[in-house]
Amino acid sequence: MLIYVLRALVKMAVTLLVIVTLVFFATRLSGNPVDFVLGDGISREDRELLIAYYGLDATIGSQYWRYLVSVFSGEFGLSFLERRPVSQIVFERAWPSLKLLLSAISFTLIVSVPLGILAAIYRTSIIGSVVMVIAFLGYAVPAFIIGILLVLIFGYTLNWLPVIGDGSALHFIMPTLAISGMLVAAITRFTRNAMLDVLSQDYMRTARAKGLPEWVVILKHGLRNASITLLSVIGLQIAGLAASGSVVVEAIFAWPGIGDLLVRSAILRDYPVLQFAVLSVAIVVIVINAAVDIAYAYADPRIRLAKG
Amino acid sequence: MTDLTQTSSSPGSAPFHIPVWSDANWIVRIALLVGLVLIFVALAAPLIAPFDPNAQSLISRLRPPVGFERYKDGFLFGTDELGRDILSRCIYGLRLTFALALAGSVIGLLIGGTLGLLAGIAGGVVEDFVMAMVDTQIAIPFTLIALLILAVMGSSLDVMVLVLGVYGWEQYARIVRAEVKKLTQMPFVEAAQAAGATPLRIAFHHILPNVVSPIVVQFTLNFSNIVILESTLSFLGLGVQPPTATLGSMVGIGRDYLPTAPWIVLAPAAVILLLTFAVQILGDWLRDKADVRLRSR
Amino acid sequence: MTKLLATTALASLIATGAFASELTVGAANVSSYLDPGRDHSNVGSQFYYNSFDTLIAKNHDTTDTEWRPGLATEWKLIEPTVMELKLREGVKFHNGEDMTADDVVFSLNRMYQADFPPYQVRARDRLENFEKAEKIDDHTVRITARRPEPLWETLLNLQQVMIVPLDYTKGLAGDPDKIEHDDYEAFSLKPVGTGPYKVAEFVPGERVVWERFDDFWGEKAPLDKVTVKHMPETASRITSLKTGEADIVTNIAPDQLGLIENDPDMKAAGSATALFHVMIMNVNHPKLKDARIRQAMSLAIDRDTLNEALWGGKAVVPSTHTLKEFGELYQPELTTFEYNPEKARELLQEAGYDGFEISYYTAPSYYTNGLLAAQAIMEMWAEVGINGKVTVQDKWNGGSPDMMARNWSNPMYFADPFGSFGVMWAPNGPSESEGRFNTDEDYAKAWEQFRFSGDVELRRAAYAELMERIKQDPPVLPLYRPYESWAMKNNIDWAPKPGHIPYVLDFRAGSIAVN
Repeated sequence: MLIYVLRALVKMAVTLLVIVTLVFFATRLSGNPVDFVLGDGISREDRELLIAYYGLDATIGSQYWRYLVSVFSGEFGLSFLERRPVSQIVFERAWPSLKLLLSAISFTLIVSVPLGILAAIYRTSIIGSVVMVIAFLGYAVPAFIIGILLVLIFGYTLNWLPVIGDGSALHFIMPTLAISGMLVAAITRFTRNAMLDVLSQDYMRTARAKGLPEWVVILKHGLRNASITLLSVIGLQIAGLAASGSVVVEAIFAWPGIGDLLVRSAILRDYPVLQFAVLSVAIVVIVINAAVDIAYAYADPRIRLAKG
Repeated sequence: MTDLTQTSSSPGSAPFHIPVWSDANWIVRIALLVGLVLIFVALAAPLIAPFDPNAQSLISRLRPPVGFERYKDGFLFGTDELGRDILSRCIYGLRLTFALALAGSVIGLLIGGTLGLLAGIAGGVVEDFVMAMVDTQIAIPFTLIALLILAVMGSSLDVMVLVLGVYGWEQYARIVRAEVKKLTQMPFVEAAQAAGATPLRIAFHHILPNVVSPIVVQFTLNFSNIVILESTLSFLGLGVQPPTATLGSMVGIGRDYLPTAPWIVLAPAAVILLLTFAVQILGDWLRDKADVRLRSR
Repeated sequence: MTKLLATTALASLIATGAFASELTVGAANVSSYLDPGRDHSNVGSQFYYNSFDTLIAKNHDTTDTEWRPGLATEWKLIEPTVMELKLREGVKFHNGEDMTADDVVFSLNRMYQADFPPYQVRARDRLENFEKAEKIDDHTVRITARRPEPLWETLLNLQQVMIVPLDYTKGLAGDPDKIEHDDYEAFSLKPVGTGPYKVAEFVPGERVVWERFDDFWGEKAPLDKVTVKHMPETASRITSLKTGEADIVTNIAPDQLGLIENDPDMKAAGSATALFHVMIMNVNHPKLKDARIRQAMSLAIDRDTLNEALWGGKAVVPSTHTLKEFGELYQPELTTFEYNPEKARELLQEAGYDGFEISYYTAPSYYTNGLLAAQAIMEMWAEVGINGKVTVQDKWNGGSPDMMARNWSNPMYFADPFGSFGVMWAPNGPSESEGRFNTDEDYAKAWEQFRFSGDVELRRAAYAELMERIKQDPPVLPLYRPYESWAMKNNIDWAPKPGHIPYVLDFRAGSIAVN
């Protein structure tokens, strides 16, 4: 087990280093921040002046080396634009994003697990079909369309819900709905499929034969066993969402989150912010994945053996 | 329910059957019809589109669809912010979106499938390397990768195909690798190995046919994800260059008009819905038919 | 009718009811830093006037030039190149410090003798004629110019020379007794000025919170607190007025105006902003070297139709690069730019244009209607046979030799042709140094006369000459003065004042009322 953990840690470190390196070189290939924010309408000499001031005139190799050294000493640099430490900027944005993510996950689980079970039990009847159709809708409409329609209906027309920022519990309703469309679709589907697999297993028949009520059988035996598969899927989906799924929804609801930050810093080539934000997101994703792996291995000894 | 291990126990025979009309329930039939109609429209776009999708008319901007006040004759779905015919743009947009999503999915499949197959068969360092790439890919937000590719290479249709092609390769790689690993331990593969079949022969004759069904399912997922992704990129101003119409760019660029001229967005959004809906239902149905549990790892 | 739920109802009550003087502004863009010295962006211009003062102030109610005492109460030329200013007494900075000659000298010299690159860059194009500022006594300073300056007041009314505190800035980073670059960097996150509102909170890119500054030297601010929030999405921004989350929102596109005007709860205010959306052309691009091709590109564009279609006729299409804010140098009688497709076709034929592709760059959303105008221009070009193609990218490529044409904005940084056309198309100015514009001796001579002559008629004549040069060998076409709109709730009385530079959110006394 210790070797397994160590191996995982080393792998993690290598992955992170690769990511840092990739992002570093890709961003520098893609242009210079001076050309995106600071430099329209200044003379060529002044452009050089700014490039030198921001330390972008050194060779790319030495810039990379300098960056690695500073990363290992825990210094991630200042934003080109905001001139404050990037860690401060990213952490300021991380909490709102996390809150929205948690809200979306809770909503998704509450909605899609029962729906998935329903769809599995009534697989052949109209109920199953209707559930799946509803679930597919989440896949079929871009999140920003759901978002803007919600804004127009519940904000603009009805004036029921606030649309800007994360000020109160009410502020969470629309962004959560908009962001959850895809998640609900995915989790419903996977719950249904996992339940289908489980429902036909021998132990389910045994449980029924014992005379337990059907809902007990399904919840206790069925769901518990299906939850292993579900767990891994949810982990993956969350990782994906944490990474980028919320960019668009954050823009619509003026949510001060990390997705918006990622895109803005990429568009404006604010390298230090971009690098640190990507690194933070990557760490979160990797940790979630590792946690899922471990939970999975814990729940199912066969996997642990196979991974050896 | 049949188990995969049983259906695939005879070497060389594919467990994947093309299902037929009579197997399908009403939803699937509708999806099938919708899909066929969309394919027809996409293929026949130049023949059926009433106008040139890029022809502007600045004096008749933002005209509503038929049946509303200020409707302009002939422009059934209304006109957009430059006076272009929405219907024609939807038709051409569907054609291009379809092509992009198809190309993107196929490229993703080719990249991911090859790497997954390689990892699964070769094992060892190769497998570690491929899986490290997969892990890296998962950990970087895809929107960001798209952004950087588009920034470095400039935004053109070719680059867009590349970006959409890169999308989702890691999912294919994971699935294919997992299936391959499982299959290589199956009796029929071991038998073939014992009989002296080359790894290449094993890959193509014994393994590939057996991973088709999970791939089909992933393909349908990937296809609709790409349609949505393309619209998201347009939302962020990174989509296909105007004036070229794709369903995603019409929705992404037109969204500011949702309060004032909703038809600009609703028409292409409805087509997106039909497209992804049909693909999803069909994919799910194929999954049920093939009855393979979609493994995520 | 069910209206707002509890929290928003409360918020709107607070904003409009008993505590009438709190306000929320929904802005499409919020600055990443707040330092009037280094900034000249359209986004930044929104914020400085409420918190900072200049030595010489201006009546913003009119486009005419009426100077008013600002932080200086009187000023006079004591030599052709030296101006002496008496400073207002009893002026306090937001942090409680008194404003003295030291602060003024510091504020001016940080630009006049800049060694901090972002200041150097900003000072170069407009403040190069200023040599230094000196303290005479605690409330007297002298400013020395290199050569006689016709635009003294104008250039002391600039955003870039707003007055900031010396001691406070010194103490922000590093050695508290020295001015270092890091002090300037830190200042841009915690700006302090002398204006009627202090910046109580600033989250870069997200939020600016102003609070009334009770020790302000002039008429006190009418509002207790103003929060400017970043609301990037148009639909959400407009909706925030309906839900009571904002009282004023910025950047309403002309196509959305109908929505605001038809709503009984809201109204819009706007003006043809003092800047031009322009198309710039690279005179040194190998394929565009022939001036006739660029003339054709310009003549083919029907700007009046663009105005009618995209701006509802509310934008202003100029005949030359001139704005009525230029006062005595406003010259609408010149005809530098026109629409003439026949002539465009002729010129193309004469120049032997063979149908090569001309790319036209635009940012996706930075300029209102920018992308729409770009696409419409391609159609107009096609009409005369020009094969144009729009490329959308955020990158500024004005300095790239491959750039053929792109859109841009040419703001009025101050009310003089020098503050608009002049900043960008000076000899050795940004356009020339970026390699897309050339000047020669004659141009430089005309320029000299336009920039430094003390005689208004000579300046006018010289500017007309420059415009003729631009007409013959065009590097730029001003498309129009865009009509920018703000939307607000009915109980707010606010409108952009004509005497400001573009986009200023002026909430000083007399500029806003909440009923």
